[in-house]
Amino acid sequence: MVTVDAPPIQPRAGRPRTRRPSQGSRTFNAVNAVILTAVVVLTLYPFVNILARSFSEEHYIRSGQVNLLPKGFNLTTYRTVLSDSTFWTNYGNTVLYTVVGTLISLVLTTCYAYVLSKKHLRGRTLLVGIAVFTLFFNGGIIPNYVLVSGLGLRNSLWAIVLPNAVSVFNLLVMKAFFESLPAELEEAAAVDGMGTYGILLRVVLPLSKAIIATMVLFYAVAYWNSWFSAFLYMDNTSLFPVTVYLRNLIAGATGGTNEGMASDTQLQIAANIKAVTVVLTVLPILLVYPFIQRYFVTGILLGAVKE
Amino acid sequence: MSAPDTVQLPPGTRTAAPPGRAPGRIRPRRRTVRQVLRRDWQLYSLAVLPLLFFAVFRYLPMAGNVIAFRRYHPGGSIFGDRWVGLHYVRLFLEDSTFWHVFTNTLVLGGLTLLFTFPLPIVLALLLNEVRTRWLRRFVQSISYLPHFLSIVVVAGIIVESLSTDGVVNQALRAVGHSPIPFIQRPEWFRPMYVSSEVWQTVGWGTILYLAALTTIDGNLYEAARIDGAGRWRQTWHVTLPGIRPTMMTLLILNIGTFMAIGFEKVLLLYNPLTYPTADVISTYVYRVGVVTGSFSYAAAIGLFESLVGLVLVVSANLVSRRAVGTSLW
Amino acid sequence: MYNLSRRQVLSGAGAGAAALALAACGDGGGDDNSTKGPDLSANREGAMDKYAAGDQFKATQPLSFSIMMLSNAAYPYKADWLFFQELTKRTNVTLQATVVPGSDYNQKRSVMVSGGNAPMIIPKTYRPDEEQYIASGAILPVSDYTSLMPNFTDQVKKWKLEGDIDTMRQDDGKFYLLPGLHEDVWKDYSLAIRTDILQKLNLTIPKTWDDLLTVLRAMKAAYPDQYPFSDRWSVPPQPAGANALLSILGEAYGTWAGFSWNHTTWDPKAGKFVYTGAMDEYKKMLQYVNTMVSEKLLDPESFTQTDDNARQKFASGKSFVISCNAQTLANECRPDIAKIPGATVVKIPVPIGPIGSAKTGTRLESGLMISSKAKDSKNLVAMMQFVDWLFYSDAGKMFAKWGVQGTTYTGSIDDGSFKLASDVKFAGLNPTGTKNIQVEYGFFNGVFVYGGSTKLLNSQFPAEEKQFQDAMTARKTLPVPPPHPLDADEREQATLWEAGLKDTVAQQTVKFSLGQRPFGEWDSYVSELKAKNMQQEVDTVNKSYERYKKNHG
Repeated sequence: MVTVDAPPIQPRAGRPRTRRPSQGSRTFNAVNAVILTAVVVLTLYPFVNILARSFSEEHYIRSGQVNLLPKGFNLTTYRTVLSDSTFWTNYGNTVLYTVVGTLISLVLTTCYAYVLSKKHLRGRTLLVGIAVFTLFFNGGIIPNYVLVSGLGLRNSLWAIVLPNAVSVFNLLVMKAFFESLPAELEEAAAVDGMGTYGILLRVVLPLSKAIIATMVLFYAVAYWNSWFSAFLYMDNTSLFPVTVYLRNLIAGATGGTNEGMASDTQLQIAANIKAVTVVLTVLPILLVYPFIQRYFVTGILLGAVKE
Repeated sequence: MSAPDTVQLPPGTRTAAPPGRAPGRIRPRRRTVRQVLRRDWQLYSLAVLPLLFFAVFRYLPMAGNVIAFRRYHPGGSIFGDRWVGLHYVRLFLEDSTFWHVFTNTLVLGGLTLLFTFPLPIVLALLLNEVRTRWLRRFVQSISYLPHFLSIVVVAGIIVESLSTDGVVNQALRAVGHSPIPFIQRPEWFRPMYVSSEVWQTVGWGTILYLAALTTIDGNLYEAARIDGAGRWRQTWHVTLPGIRPTMMTLLILNIGTFMAIGFEKVLLLYNPLTYPTADVISTYVYRVGVVTGSFSYAAAIGLFESLVGLVLVVSANLVSRRAVGTSLW
Repeated sequence: MYNLSRRQVLSGAGAGAAALALAACGDGGGDDNSTKGPDLSANREGAMDKYAAGDQFKATQPLSFSIMMLSNAAYPYKADWLFFQELTKRTNVTLQATVVPGSDYNQKRSVMVSGGNAPMIIPKTYRPDEEQYIASGAILPVSDYTSLMPNFTDQVKKWKLEGDIDTMRQDDGKFYLLPGLHEDVWKDYSLAIRTDILQKLNLTIPKTWDDLLTVLRAMKAAYPDQYPFSDRWSVPPQPAGANALLSILGEAYGTWAGFSWNHTTWDPKAGKFVYTGAMDEYKKMLQYVNTMVSEKLLDPESFTQTDDNARQKFASGKSFVISCNAQTLANECRPDIAKIPGATVVKIPVPIGPIGSAKTGTRLESGLMISSKAKDSKNLVAMMQFVDWLFYSDAGKMFAKWGVQGTTYTGSIDDGSFKLASDVKFAGLNPTGTKNIQVEYGFFNGVFVYGGSTKLLNSQFPAEEKQFQDAMTARKTLPVPPPHPLDADEREQATLWEAGLKDTVAQQTVKFSLGQRPFGEWDSYVSELKAKNMQQEVDTVNKSYERYKKNHG
């Protein structure tokens, strides 16, 4: 029988804050602040620059005059891209592929990682080996293409979400997490008559919010940024995700494949399409991440489990 | 009676023992297959779909690797049309350029691993020390932005900042040094590549560690503090062991894959002058194999790389298991 | 397609090299099917019984052919373009498009052909990309079917393109690509120079490379802290760096470099091929470049910087000379300097070098492959006739390029009365028009517009470019080298040798140019090439030349 004391809920896990920082502590804080500030500056500067460029006028970009603030503020490229219905169709595709793909990947990875974390299981080493082997050996583009084609998956959503459903990397990290959960909890639940499925759903998963949130983030970002599978297996513009659309736009605007003289709009686009692309693909993730971040602060109730 | 959703047990109690192995557990007797199945059928059932995935989408296409030993013509049978044995293997083994790029790959991969592995941990620990929650979240969110930049954009940023009129040389000129053409000097390629890798991955890498850090029970810190441990001792004895499983798993995986240097980034940063240090296996294979359609040659080299990776991961895992008890299997 | 990308120049040169060459071996052995071609009685459904040059092709029943459609982001593919509707009306053929984004067309094409999924018609293929598919039989030896294509054979004869066609032939005497045919070699790359600076310094437009040195020196004297010439087109995966400059310079010296790089050059006096990277002419050319670098006339970063960097220097007035073609002149150089008061820029006729006023190159452009699955199609004959009409007949070419007379244009190009319709614009022509001929109507699409007569080519140029073209057309066109096709085994071996050789040449080219290696070491450089199988490479090429000569005359 499991009883749990009810100690006061601590707002977050991690190091509790001491009341009076010591001298060494203060020096450390200062150094830490400097380092972190440097990190912020180094990583933020290129983005501010890119953001500025996405709003700047072509000539200033070309002569290298754009730094932190836009010069010759205009929305030409944004307007051109955002007013193209194909862009929105493709954006919808991206969202669809990301949601479905993340869901499938999450389910498969969680199940398999859980199985792999059971050290007592016969054949576990083989199961792990099956996964790890695929980290190093793969068939290459053409056999994969022939397979997907042969399965009739081309030009469908499944060509995107199935071939890369499980990332062995994520799998093994999740397995490590599951292994670090104490066995007593599950054993106790088993003694109480819960089956494997029940334990997984009602005991393990609620404790694993942090790692699940991480996996959601990893998979979602991977699907969000992916373009290669779609490019390979789709033959129809209306099925492409927005990454292919933008990649093609960049190539068309900046490569030498235009015939004849470009209009002013085209020149403007050529100057900052890459910057606009970055903004349009990164923005959604920046907006979503804070919602996921709170799941990293799982440790809510802390206390002893009496057996 | 049901397990409360909010129970959080301290995995930290396992600092002494290797994680996953509960103390005091009796080894089960050998069971027959039927008994095993009856006991664990639910577990095996969970593995069915993933195994199907591996079988169909990973192992089936692997058969295509046979073209490393067969003459393959693009457009013909994907299994090649004629057995040639070790012809291609011998070709690249005797190719002095191949060994040169192999060495480059080793060095570049090793340096990258050396710097990109510990730094996310350090950053995660530093972030963990920040008191104000919103500040910590802000810094973390900013720090992973570079991860989202496409390789083309990153390469563009690097080349621009390192040009003779770029920011770096402007700074050099300001202190009286003459400008250095970084892009054209082979000795600068490795620092340039590794720095850009660090810049791009350090923020993203902290996510996993920060998630791991949340699973460490606050009581442990309290206990350590009561025992008189300062911040540094707390970090050493509570924090690091708490994230050790994650750390070791990632280390083993990274060692196994450190040779897989993506070709796109190197392709955008190198030029004939820096070939001596910059040319790696993937770019070499791209020039020789892919562009000209010599897929069999590319496949042979690919198999060789895979073999090396597999050996590395097995060795790393062995060492890890002996040393700290964490193992991938 | 009219734009002369580096691939096109590269592939053109890839056929071989001729600086001072005699005519190639006759009109080719595999002369279009004087002997009986394949039996086509089962493939004649929908075809016209009597189809001759100049006829309008119309299938006898509605047909549909699959085609790989590159979608250029500047004018993305639309299934309802007037182009497609009118095409079906005139020819009774509907095209089923597999849309491929232009950014990665080559890779997708490669995967589709290798995976067995390719459409029947595969356009935008540059030489020698089609060679890798020959051994597996994935593509049709189109030379066997040219008897079905009267316009094609007519044009080859009219413009005397037999020699150029021969350079495409494989060791079985057949060729596997239907190229775009040009009446004359189309030169596009040259140098853009700030004419206002020339005026200020009392200089004239340089005619020869030596003139250019004079001009650059004067610019340097006037602006000692700047590099007057900072070049572009160095971004990988090109050979060496500053590839456009090396390309036009190499040709002026009678060798191949940069975009035009080719491993072997035909030496007509010796009657055999020699290795380009070891030629004396190549050395002289590098010495010229080195002169520019050592006198600080050419920015050493030219060999490694991004195009954006180079453009930036030009745009901010730091440099005055940069490589360009017609398109970058209009789209990049000119707008870039728009904010510099009084700045004007012009693309000069390619400077003349030791070979004198001549031009080299091929008159073949990127072309079509036909999937070998077409052999079993009952509409094969109709498809070849269709391709012949659309891509090689005067009417078809005019249609693909400029559309429908009365709707999108008026007049004709033959008498110079051609004019775009008042509301239709194309690039620099008719800027007041509201509808873009490529975007709204689907004409002048790079997938369908290939080659053509000089008149047709000129109809797309603004007056300025026409002047350049006139100057270039006036130069003598030198013949192309004789065919020297390798068989599959030789090709595989040569590929590996060439990879090592190209790396060495690329590296040393830049080093010699930058002065990082003194020319006194030229001989040891040649020995390095020998160590990388240079002699075997040349021997293989010569052997295949001899073999082809013996087998096919």
